[in-house]
Amino acid sequence: MIESMIKIWAKYDYVFINGLFGTLWLAVVTVFLGTILGTLIAMLRMSRFKFFYALTSAYIEVLRGTPSLLQLYFFWLILPKLLPISVSDTACIVVALIVNSSAYVAEIIRAGIQAVDKGQTEAAKSLGLSNANTMRYVILPQAVKNILPALCNEFIIMVKETSLASVFFVGELMTAYKTVQSTTFLAVPTLTIVGIIYFVVNFVLSKLLKAFERRLQESD
Amino acid sequence: MTEAEQGREIIRVENLCKGFGELKVLKNINQHVNFGEVVSIIGPSGSGKSTFLRCLNLLEQPDSGKIWFEGVDITDKRIDIDKHRQKMGMVFQHFNVFPNLKVLENITLAPVLEKKIPKAQAVAQAEELLKKVGLFDKRDEYPRKLSGGQKQRLAIVRALAMEPDVILFDEPTSALDPEMVKDVLDVIKGLAESGMTIVIVTHEMGFAREVSDRVLFMDDGDIQEEGTPEQIFDHPENPRTIEFLSKVL
Repeated sequence: MIESMIKIWAKYDYVFINGLFGTLWLAVVTVFLGTILGTLIAMLRMSRFKFFYALTSAYIEVLRGTPSLLQLYFFWLILPKLLPISVSDTACIVVALIVNSSAYVAEIIRAGIQAVDKGQTEAAKSLGLSNANTMRYVILPQAVKNILPALCNEFIIMVKETSLASVFFVGELMTAYKTVQSTTFLAVPTLTIVGIIYFVVNFVLSKLLKAFERRLQESD
Repeated sequence: MTEAEQGREIIRVENLCKGFGELKVLKNINQHVNFGEVVSIIGPSGSGKSTFLRCLNLLEQPDSGKIWFEGVDITDKRIDIDKHRQKMGMVFQHFNVFPNLKVLENITLAPVLEKKIPKAQAVAQAEELLKKVGLFDKRDEYPRKLSGGQKQRLAIVRALAMEPDVILFDEPTSALDPEMVKDVLDVIKGLAESGMTIVIVTHEMGFAREVSDRVLFMDDGDIQEEGTPEQIFDHPENPRTIEFLSKVL
């Protein structure tokens, strides 16, 4: 087993490494753009207008209440029909992952803002600070400390979630497994190699996150 | 309101009612505060003291009734409440200093942002205020390095930096360790002596007696009795006041 793993790695290391970069690239892009979209969703959700609240609540609930794989299929089927230009499979999957991530990020941001002590808003308002200035100078700087660790965690989750893209042969680590497996017919060693890569990457990332969280707490 | 009253009264409360769900917290309160007056509000917990105070700058939205501040009905939805709050300072039980800002920034934030005072001038003013309350050497620290008493003095100075016409104190010493109470009360006393208009909700009866021009005794969502400190503390007439004072004095 170990012998065949070494052989597979020696011959196909570039496939795995390309796959890993594909995975990380997907995770970075989806979490980054998902954060921008998610921030917008969170702001609408916290707005005074009932309509926006209802709309964004529905958005979040639907995306969190259906399987990610189903969402990927949905966008993969529907985007090429909706858009006049031709869209690649990769583009469809990236959009689906961004939308999926935005729902989780929106909740992270909302929770992070609402976790800031209510007394902070009251103190700012009692000084005559406008709503915008209260948000910008008092609430958000404190909310960021709640939000950042959760966003990093979302990135770690996304590294794993992107494996779903292999269903559509979008280049990432799980697709690398499929590629190598279909040439070597050695499923278990290949899968083990991929599993080890996923584990090492996420283990390192979560250790870094822990250290980062500790530093944030120290600056409190 | 007549012309004469306008010069005299800073706050006027008319038929103020406030409830939280089924619970009626304030039952039709009519009251006023004059310029330069120090008014203490005493009473048992749950009597509506803090809610009443928080209605004065609309941190709590009244269900009905009107609140006039310097001749303006601030319950009117069309006014810009932020502008009026700049002239009504507030100090909270739990200090609510901004932990993300240094001591000096806590003080200069609102004057610079909302009163458009040049940064240098705001800093100079803040440093003056910090000297007065003995916190000058802490000006570049974050609030987490301060004790409770120091945080509360910072909160008072932060309110003062807006040069308000009245300061509302909501149980300013209730969350403090006993040995820090005096420092904070001394600062408030100094303010009272300087002629600042003050409304203070407090459990410090000795302090209320010493600094107040007028004492309000609240119970069950209403002001049951009011008068000078001598009247309330030495010759209370309302049975509820008598009962309350017999428990706390």
